[in-house]
Amino acid sequence: MTEFLIKNGHVYDPANGIFGDLMEIAVKDGIIVNPSELSPNPKVIDAGGGIVAPGGIDIHSHIAGPKVNTGRLIKPEDHIGTCKPASNGLRSQVGRSVPNVFKIGYGYAIMGYTTVAEAASPPLEARHTHEEMNDIPIIDKLTYIIADSNWLLLDYLVDGRGDLIEAYVAWLLRATKGYGIKIVDPGADWAWLHGKGMGIDIDYELPEYGISPKDILLGLGEAVEHLKLPHPIHVHCNRLGYPGNYETTLKTIELSNKYSKGLERPAMHVTHTQFTGYKGDSWITLGSGGEDIAKEVERTDSSVDLGQLVFGPTITMTADAPFEFVLYHLERGKWSFADIEAETSAGIVPYVYRKRNYVNTVQWCIGLEVALLVRDPWKVYITTDHPNAGPFTKYPEIMALLMSKKMREDFMKDLNQVALGRASLPSISRELSLEEIMIMMRASPARLLGMKFKGHLGEGAQADIAIYDLNPEKVDVHHDYEEVIKAFSRAKYTLKDGEIVVKDGEIVRELYGTTFYTDPKVPEDSIREVEKGLKEKFPKYYSISLSNYVIGEDELRKGRVVS
Amino acid sequence: MIAKQTLSLLLNTGRTIKQGISMEAEGKLSEAYADAVARIELNEDDMKALGITDGSLVEVISKEGSIKIRAFRSKEVKRGHAYVPMGPWANMIVDPQTMSLGMPNYKYTIINVRPSEGKPTSLIEILAHYNAIIPTEIEDIELRGGSQKVYEYMVCPFCGELCDHLKLEVVGNEIKKVIGGCANSVSKLRNYHKHRILRPLIREGGHFREVSLEEALRRAARILSSAKYPLLFGWSSTVNEAIRVGVELAEILRGVIDNTSVVCHGPTALGAQDVGTARSTLGIIRHKADYIVIWGSNPSASHQNHFSLWIFSRGKWIKGRKNRKVVVIDVRETPAARLADELVRVEPGKDYELITALRMAVRDLDIELPSVAGVPTETIYRLADEMKSAKYGVIFEGMGITMTGAKHRNVEELIKLAHDLNEWTRFVLIPMRGHYNVTGSDNVFLWTTGYPFGIDFSRGYPRMVPGVTTAPDLLMRGEVDAALIISSDPVAHFPKRAVEHLSKIPVITIDPKWSLTATISDVIIPSGIVGVECGGTAYRLDDVPLRIKSILPPPPGVLCDDEILRRLLEMVKEYRNEGGRKRGEGYS
Ligand code: SF4
Ligand SMILES: [Zn+2]
Repeated sequence: MTEFLIKNGHVYDPANGIFGDLMEIAVKDGIIVNPSELSPNPKVIDAGGGIVAPGGIDIHSHIAGPKVNTGRLIKPEDHIGTCKPASNGLRSQVGRSVPNVFKIGYGYAIMGYTTVAEAASPPLEARHTHEEMNDIPIIDKLTYIIADSNWLLLDYLVDGRGDLIEAYVAWLLRATKGYGIKIVDPGADWAWLHGKGMGIDIDYELPEYGISPKDILLGLGEAVEHLKLPHPIHVHCNRLGYPGNYETTLKTIELSNKYSKGLERPAMHVTHTQFTGYKGDSWITLGSGGEDIAKEVERTDSSVDLGQLVFGPTITMTADAPFEFVLYHLERGKWSFADIEAETSAGIVPYVYRKRNYVNTVQWCIGLEVALLVRDPWKVYITTDHPNAGPFTKYPEIMALLMSKKMREDFMKDLNQVALGRASLPSISRELSLEEIMIMMRASPARLLGMKFKGHLGEGAQADIAIYDLNPEKVDVHHDYEEVIKAFSRAKYTLKDGEIVVKDGEIVRELYGTTFYTDPKVPEDSIREVEKGLKEKFPKYYSISLSNYVIGEDELRKGRVVS
Repeated sequence: MIAKQTLSLLLNTGRTIKQGISMEAEGKLSEAYADAVARIELNEDDMKALGITDGSLVEVISKEGSIKIRAFRSKEVKRGHAYVPMGPWANMIVDPQTMSLGMPNYKYTIINVRPSEGKPTSLIEILAHYNAIIPTEIEDIELRGGSQKVYEYMVCPFCGELCDHLKLEVVGNEIKKVIGGCANSVSKLRNYHKHRILRPLIREGGHFREVSLEEALRRAARILSSAKYPLLFGWSSTVNEAIRVGVELAEILRGVIDNTSVVCHGPTALGAQDVGTARSTLGIIRHKADYIVIWGSNPSASHQNHFSLWIFSRGKWIKGRKNRKVVVIDVRETPAARLADELVRVEPGKDYELITALRMAVRDLDIELPSVAGVPTETIYRLADEMKSAKYGVIFEGMGITMTGAKHRNVEELIKLAHDLNEWTRFVLIPMRGHYNVTGSDNVFLWTTGYPFGIDFSRGYPRMVPGVTTAPDLLMRGEVDAALIISSDPVAHFPKRAVEHLSKIPVITIDPKWSLTATISDVIIPSGIVGVECGGTAYRLDDVPLRIKSILPPPPGVLCDDEILRRLLEMVKEYRNEGGRKRGEGYS
């Protein structure tokens, strides 16, 4: 039974209203406890005047599953310059944008992150996602399940029986051990199966079904809120990647107010908004819709994450298969796609973001603008949509950019000046505070995931703790951005479930975290009706048997239900 | 005196229906297996030219060696060509050259054939060449009667189709009935109890000695720990839970881990590394594919349920077989070709030319030749038009593509053809993966190392250099100094030169049944049969993951692959922790 007393740290625990106070944190058996509960001589961790905060939480990152693994397959060059041999009982690490499982787990832990949500799993291949997540060391994991082009769901939406939509959503999450419902360019993959679906808007009429993406958003939004799932619908908007798409994004966000039930968390999460925040009507006139989106997010029951662009080579991967088809035509390199029966599709295209490029510079601005213009830090999250807009390892750099106008100015010198001339970012003087950054990375994501035991340091919380070698009394985070990047890139300590896993930026212990999923309760009658429907339709729609589709609890290395 | 003539022919090797069945029912040391694979199939005219008839003995000579086998007439084989089923006989003569890809020239070896007298080359002779020990007695698990049980939705552990609708009727520990499975599946499952290895064995002098599992594992750990550069090979007929342990073992030993992809669809992965993929799950094919190309594959032998499940079947938009056009492209008239609407015969080794011509035709470019790769240019234009006007098309790609001519360049070009066709319609390419979990093996390798096969850990981190870090090359060059072979039989499937090296180094075999590789091994560790005695996760050829269930306990004292490997890994770790001090000494 390990006990620790963390001393001499500036504690940032926004959920409990603590911002930089010098106080002690006590850990016992993986849980945060009152210091009085510790035995007389606990092991002491000296924070050395640095920051003590709850472990970081990434609400959207592509870390496991068929897309990620296909990314590895088609990008062997991703290894170049990254190889780290196995040593001291740790596994070997390779890859930059699609790292191997070990590097993903170690990489997050080294930055003080302890929980990561896989962004999109096709239900039929969720077993694959779980297998990879089982093999990712240290961090806790969870996955969203793609549902928008799901034939069974579309059938229920057309029937319009809300109780059955809910029961099916509940059944799907239970069967796949999923955590939340993902919507990717709603309806587009159904259209893509027919060779259509490029750039569809929310009023598009889906072939054969006749309903629209808007109907899908409202139907699933309503079901998820009524079921009170821990996480709201997680939406990748229609027309992602198309100039002028910010209007579609605004129309999508607006829908959240239609079905909001005023739960503690937002009723809709709109993801990687950088990719869906474009003004203009062509790539030449591309502009930023960041300001409008920020306003709409504040006005509605919604939240956004950035999908912040990071310059350099990466790989894009999304269930937005028709968009990847378009991207393949722009980049003309490698392209992978897969159609998954009765459910979804996916596309993968390696991509390089270039500093001198006009479009890439506009994209870079939009992410930062959204983060700086949404005034409420509880509604916006830092992501790179790893690896779509860049690798997760660049989070410290993004945090520093948001906290330092000086860094932004230095950075912008190398970017496309025409694009900057049209952007509002250069004139934005807001610098986020350390407090706000801590909310965005820790407290707020826990709330968005409905995890009361995470994202804070109150008694009873899971003892996932990050300690950074950055004394807020001594370092001016708005000025000394190099210091900030250094500190957040390599945690002084990371504690996972009350055990020290990182010390001085190095992994010192390998353990395996928990996979969270949800198991919503619905009335027996509706479940029975859905199960009856499945017996009849499943063999027609799928190429495997219904009973083999269901993932057992024993298939998770360590599973835990959150409701 | 025409009868004494020698003919120079082009040798193609491949799998046959009989081969799979006899292997499962009788084992590779049986007469039935020899009958199935010790044969050469020739064109009638060539047989006449040689002055021989069905069943005549011929000598087959290549620059690698020679064998005597019986010749049979086959309508499927063109003049100037010859066909020998894959197996120890074919391996004595196939061209081992891999052209830096890991894949020997299984389908393109120049041979001389001449009539012969005397006796055919026996398996014993071949194995004697490798210094094998033929077990005197091969045991079956004793069948005990008992109550009847029925298991539904069982997953078949034979081929990459991973059919998951099998119904097994079991009485006691006997599998009485396999409903829904094809001949291969029935043969494997109903005979699960036959010719099993039931106790760990260690080779001593000229025979095998029975030992405890502990002792066998200890010996295996010592062999691996003291090797400078061990090879861990197989991994396509076991579950992911075992494969992930295997990767860790290879990493700790700083050896090489490779799977059977290297000799089947390795080039498919190499093609993907260069250009990407174009995939769908099989359900999509059933629902939507109205145009089906089967290229260099014979599912009628290798994936026997393939036609009935995905091509003859009814889907959401397709009523059945008559709504689909099926084209087989192959060098010979395969059984699958007889189920197709059209057979396009391509000259051996010329697939790349044909694919390139098709890509040109798809783009309406001029082909200024009357024919390409033996196919009339008119036909090529017609096929291209048909593909473009399909609603949803698929190319099922087999080893005829990956093993011949330009190998991975064929695949690359084929993927590009599928990519191109998506400008007009939807088109995908699905590899016909052979072993039931070779797809899972590639996947586990990918998520743990970033590479699909042929992975070297000599520097402590994974590297993949086809032709350098691939099993056949490493063996032929004599670079590895110990080997662990799991659920695979390189002695039956690798070229002679590779097997010769394998027979000279310490070999550990983990297998439920007697394989040819077991006969040359130093340590044999029996394992439970996946799908009957052991469970776990496996991936279908279209990447769909399935959970394989077990219904009976393994024989007493026998463990499942993952457990065996975990124990082995622990022992290897102990050896390493103790350093050289205890190396070579016992543990007791
Ligand atoms: S086709 Fe393959 S998986 Fe299906 S039953 Fe036959 S051997 Fe088994
Ligand atoms: Zn994403």
